[in-house]
Amino acid sequence: MAVDLASVVQIWLAALFTIWIYSIAFRDNVFFKFAEHTFVGAAAGHSIVYGFDNVRRYGWDPLTKGALLYVVVFLLGVILYTRYHKKYFWVSRFPLAVMVGIGIGLSMRATVTAEFIAQIQSTAAMKVLGVDAWTGFSNLIFIIIVLTVVYFFIFTLPSMHKGNLGLISKIARFGMMAAFGYSFANTVLSRFNMIFGRLDFLMSSWLPLPGAMVAMPIVLILVAYAMIPAQKRPWPKPGKTK
Amino acid sequence: MSKQGTGFWGKLEDVPREILYAILLIVFIIPMLKPVGFPVPISDAVKKWHATIDALPAGSAIMIDFGYSGGGEPELGPMAVAVYHHIFRKGGLKSITMSTSLEGPLLWDKVIAEVNPAKYGAKYGVDYIHIGYISGTETAMAAVGKDLRATTNTDYKGASLDQYPIMQGIKDASSFKLLICYTTGGDQSEGWVRQWYTPYKTPYLLSVIAMMVPTMLPYQKAGQIVSLTSGAQAGEMELLLGVPARGIKSADVITLTHLLVFAFVVMGNIAYYGRKASERARGG
Amino acid sequence: MSLFVRRQLPIVLVFVAAVLVMADYFLKIPGTGPVVKDLQNWGIILTAFSLGFGAVNLFYLHTRHISRRTPGQWPFSTWLLLMIVVFTIVGVTMGPTGPQYSWLYNSSYFALSATVYSSLGFYMTTGCYRALRARNAEAALLLVVGAIALLRNAPAVAVGVPIIIPMEAWLSAIPTTSAQRGIMIGASLGAIALGVRTMIGRETGFLGRLTEAERRG
Repeated sequence: MAVDLASVVQIWLAALFTIWIYSIAFRDNVFFKFAEHTFVGAAAGHSIVYGFDNVRRYGWDPLTKGALLYVVVFLLGVILYTRYHKKYFWVSRFPLAVMVGIGIGLSMRATVTAEFIAQIQSTAAMKVLGVDAWTGFSNLIFIIIVLTVVYFFIFTLPSMHKGNLGLISKIARFGMMAAFGYSFANTVLSRFNMIFGRLDFLMSSWLPLPGAMVAMPIVLILVAYAMIPAQKRPWPKPGKTK
Repeated sequence: MSKQGTGFWGKLEDVPREILYAILLIVFIIPMLKPVGFPVPISDAVKKWHATIDALPAGSAIMIDFGYSGGGEPELGPMAVAVYHHIFRKGGLKSITMSTSLEGPLLWDKVIAEVNPAKYGAKYGVDYIHIGYISGTETAMAAVGKDLRATTNTDYKGASLDQYPIMQGIKDASSFKLLICYTTGGDQSEGWVRQWYTPYKTPYLLSVIAMMVPTMLPYQKAGQIVSLTSGAQAGEMELLLGVPARGIKSADVITLTHLLVFAFVVMGNIAYYGRKASERARGG
Repeated sequence: MSLFVRRQLPIVLVFVAAVLVMADYFLKIPGTGPVVKDLQNWGIILTAFSLGFGAVNLFYLHTRHISRRTPGQWPFSTWLLLMIVVFTIVGVTMGPTGPQYSWLYNSSYFALSATVYSSLGFYMTTGCYRALRARNAEAALLLVVGAIALLRNAPAVAVGVPIIIPMEAWLSAIPTTSAQRGIMIGASLGAIALGVRTMIGRETGFLGRLTEAERRG
């Protein structure tokens, strides 16, 4: 399969970055630091690019088409950066207040329904009687765990968890441990899928390229060499500290 | 090398991490070099997801949010590809995609290149479109739900939406029969429940990375999400659709690596209790 | 500038914006619809402006390293800032969906992002071997549930040992969902309380740095 030069270089770079990032699992080294700084710089640059794109598409274009009120938004957006000024940092509070206010309004108006009322309704609708024994038992456990966990988080004073009330916290903790065990298994699945994705890229996109099979052991040896502490390495020697 | 404990149990408990990594890598690589072809069961969640899309009447508009980052691509990319195969193969549906993630538009390009809509006769601007990354997450969701055309008038490349037939009749959330979200972020997965399902009751299909599934289960239980899957179930979707690709490739690896982790947990606990027992025996 | 303008007026702004957005949803007052629509679009633009904060902070930090020639750090800081500049120039001049930016993204950012996310899998594996101990009943329960879910997530095991599928389904539907629901209800109450406190000015975290006078008043 013919692959153009740009794609070949792209695959090589991606493969090298992948190996360099994985090297941190063994020991910190200069190749990992290089890859790490590339990542942080790329992420910040990417944010600027899409921030600029959004400002242009959703702010500048409507403004040039006659929505003159958007001048105010542009002004607010620019004065967001006064937070870095020693004396006028407080000016950035105004655009921030608009953003915070919108955010609070949007999330609070739906949180009450979606994460409070709907959840309570769903729990209250669970039948304990009038269903088969196993379903009734399971639903009873469900309701008990919901109530105990809510109690555990709302009542934080130590006195609310002492004596017989301590049983409520105990049940809540057992319920949460079961949930965390399930989460642990799903986290394993997630991370291993991600590792597979990167290894699959290395094996099916990079290694078939000319020279990759030869380059791979060289890259690994160089990375392993970079992991040797600077004082024990024959070259390069660490610089003298001032 | 890491510090090692003394005695057999101590040494077993303190196996150097380099050895653990090496074993892990070997278990990863061997089935990739020599696939075994382990069977894969298809879960109810994936079947429900499939059935929901299948039940859509012709002409239905679907809002798809590419809300995941590059880190989630190995899991969610294959799922997005499989679902697009389903949508294009069914035909007659309008897929309007937006991104609440900064990397969404570029990841969408990858997915579309992998799907190759042209082979289903699907055309950009007629059957599918991407209206771009919109910043603000929930603010963006609410704005698009209230009035899409007031929020944005261009596609992700900056071309006017007016020229695309797919956008005819698309005004707000009520224009959509289904919402699909692929995401690595709780802001997005929960945000759509708050900003689209709660006010507009738009049926919602959600695919997240596996570690987010437990936190989204209560929404599914309450009926706010029709079907919740993890990207790791992409292989099941591919099997169901008959389009084996990246998702199903991981099945052998996932089986063996999970068995390895299970073995590690068991061995680690055996070593721990073995060491405690030998310390007790030495002590008294 | 008076204390009212510096401290109280932003809080008033938060209150007004939040009440407007909520009023449009709950009360459907005529006239609020278009105002809230514009406000939401403003929110999108302001968020877009705020995307530059990360880069500004990085410039602050890394130009200090470069000017002080911090040993072992300043070359990397130079490279980091160069990456920001290259990405910005290519993305802004040639478009974020153009082939040039796409190439840049796929050769660096995408590969790095995917790998960084996945590299935690290695630490998790050592954690599974060395740290996951059934020291008490609660930890044992975590391990047992985790083990059952682990085995179910292994496709071939689920097919070979079919009993594991309904077992995992029960664990998912009952203890996991119920505990997560309890956590969600608690968190939503906290979020509502935090929102109300911010609206009435009892939570001033968003104001950032407070001067002595502002703290007192």
